[in-house]
Amino acid sequence: MLNAIVPLVVDGLANAALIFFVAVGLTLVFSVLRILNVAHGSFYSIGAYVAATIGLWLVSSGLNPWLSFPALLLAAALVAALMGPLIERTLIHWTYGKGEAVQILVTFGLFLILEDLQRIVFGVRSIYADTPMALLGVSEIGGIIYLNYQLLLIGLAVVVLIGLRLFIRHTRYGKLISAVVEDREVSEALGINTRRIFMLAFTLGVFLAALGGALATPTTGVAPGLGAETMVLAFAVAAIAGLGQVEGAAVAAVIVGIARVLAIYYFPALDAVAPYLVMLAVLVIWPYGLFGSTSTRRI
Amino acid sequence: MLKLRDVNVAIAGVRVLRDVSFTLRPGICTVLIGRNGAGKTTTLRAIMGLVPLTGGAITLEGEALHTQPSYARARLGVGYAPEDRRLISEFSVEENLLLPALAMKLDAAERRRRLDEVYSLLPQLAEMRKRPGGATSGGQGKMVALGRALMVAQKVVMLDEPFQGLAPALAQDYAKTLAELRKAHEGLALLITESSPNLLDSIADETLSIERGAIGAEAPAPH
Ligand SMILES: Nc1ncnc2c1ncn2[C@@H]1O[C@H](COP(=O)(O)OP(=O)(O)OP(=O)(O)O)[C@@H](O)[C@H]1O
Ligand SMILES: [Mg+2]
Repeated sequence: MLNAIVPLVVDGLANAALIFFVAVGLTLVFSVLRILNVAHGSFYSIGAYVAATIGLWLVSSGLNPWLSFPALLLAAALVAALMGPLIERTLIHWTYGKGEAVQILVTFGLFLILEDLQRIVFGVRSIYADTPMALLGVSEIGGIIYLNYQLLLIGLAVVVLIGLRLFIRHTRYGKLISAVVEDREVSEALGINTRRIFMLAFTLGVFLAALGGALATPTTGVAPGLGAETMVLAFAVAAIAGLGQVEGAAVAAVIVGIARVLAIYYFPALDAVAPYLVMLAVLVIWPYGLFGSTSTRRI
Repeated sequence: MLKLRDVNVAIAGVRVLRDVSFTLRPGICTVLIGRNGAGKTTTLRAIMGLVPLTGGAITLEGEALHTQPSYARARLGVGYAPEDRRLISEFSVEENLLLPALAMKLDAAERRRRLDEVYSLLPQLAEMRKRPGGATSGGQGKMVALGRALMVAQKVVMLDEPFQGLAPALAQDYAKTLAELRKAHEGLALLITESSPNLLDSIADETLSIERGAIGAEAPAPH
C-alpha cells in the first residue's frame, strides 16, 4: 500500500513544486502591479528553452557536467534580467490603471509575440536535457525508489517559499513591496519610487516563472505549447489560493499537483482537466479562493 | 517657500481647482478652510503630485515641483498626512513611521534622529510602537499618520483635516503637539485643512478659504 502511494505523492509534490514557481510569480505580479499577466506562462517555457539550450551545449562542450546545476539558475536569471525590465518598461507599463480588458489584450498580445519568438529562436521540436536528473540518480529508502532530482525540486520549492517570505518581511525592497501592495498612492507620497518597485516585482515574477521552467527541463523537457499549458495551470493554482497569496499558492500547488497525479494513475482520461475541476469546486464554495479576501490587500 | 501659481485641476472633465494661488512660508501655519467638496483634499494632492495639474505651477524654493514625481516631492521634504490616515495595516506602528526613511534610504543616524524627534513630540507613539498599524483606533491612527508625515517633512508638512473625528481631549492633545512641533522646527511651513474655522484659531497664522475650487479672500487670523 505505502509502496504504491509514496511515489505517487512524491510525483505530485515534484509537479506541485514546478507549478508553484510559476503561480507564485503570477500572484506577486498581480499583487504589486494589479495586472493579470496572461503571458506569464511564456516565461516558464522560455526559461525551459534557455536552460535546455545551455544544458545541451554544456554536454557537447565536454565541461564538467555538474555545471548543469548552476546553469539552470543562470538560465532563469538571464531570462529575468534580459526580459523583465524591458517588457515592463515597454509594454506592461502602458496598462497600469487601465481596465482589465486592456490588460488582457496587451498581455495576450505579448503572449503571441513571445510564442512566435520561441518558435523562431528554438524551433518547433522538443528538447530534452536531462543531465541533472541522470547525475543525481535514485535513492532507495525502505524499499521505495525515489528520483533524487524530484526530491531536490521539492526542497527548492520550500526554500523559495521561505526565502520569498523572509525577503518580503525583512528586507528593504520586500517592505517597500508590501507597502505598495497595500496602498500605492500613500507609498508614493512617502517617498517610494513605485515605478521601480513595479519593475522589480515584475522581474522577480519573470525570474520565478523562468526558474520553474529551467528546473522542469530535466524532467519533462520542453516543447511548443508549454507556455500556454503552464499559464492555465498557474492561473488555476492562483485562483484556488486566492490571487495575491504566497503561502496559499504553495498549498494550492500541492492540491493541484496531487490531483493531477491521482488523475494520471487512476482516471487517465481526466488528466488534463483535473486541475480545473479542483479549481471549479473550490471557487464554487470560496469565490475568492481558499485564502483570498476582499478587504485588505496584502502579500 | 512653497508657491502655487494659478493651479488648475480637473477630475473626470470637471474643474475641481480654479486658478489656485497661495504661498506657504517657513515657520508660518496656513489654514485652508472650506466646506465638504470645496477642493481642500485636491489642493493637497496636487501639491503632493497625486493628481495631475491641468494648468499652473508649483515651486519649492524657486524650483519647479509640479514636474517632479510624487516620491521626489517627498524626498525634497514635503510631508503629507492624508485625511483617512492610511497606515500600512500589517506593519507595526514603528515600521509605519520608518517606512519613509526606508523609502528615502536615510542613513541610520538620520533615521534615528527623525524617529527620536517624532517620539519626543508624540510620546504616545513610543508606547504603542510594536502594535500593528491595522490595530490602532481612529485617533491613534491619526497620530501615527502625523508622525509618519513628520518623518518626511523637512520643509513643509500638510495635514488634511487632522481634527476630524477626534474626541475633544485628543484634539487638544493634537493641537498642543502642533504647537510644540512649531517650536521644535522653526523653519517648517504648515498647511492644515479644516471644514470649520474655529478649531485652528489658536495656531493659524494665515487663513485661506476655498469655495468650489477657488481661493477666496485671504484674511490674517486673529491672534
Ligand atoms: N476621484 C474623484 N472623482 C470624481 N470627483 C472627485 C474625485 N475626487 C474629488 N472629486 C470632486 O472634487 C471636488 C473637491 O473634492 P475634495 O476631496 O478636494 O474636497 P474637500 O474639500 O477635501 O472635501 P471634504 O471636506 O469632503 O474632504 C468635489 O466636488 C468632488 O466631488
Ligand atoms: Mg477632503
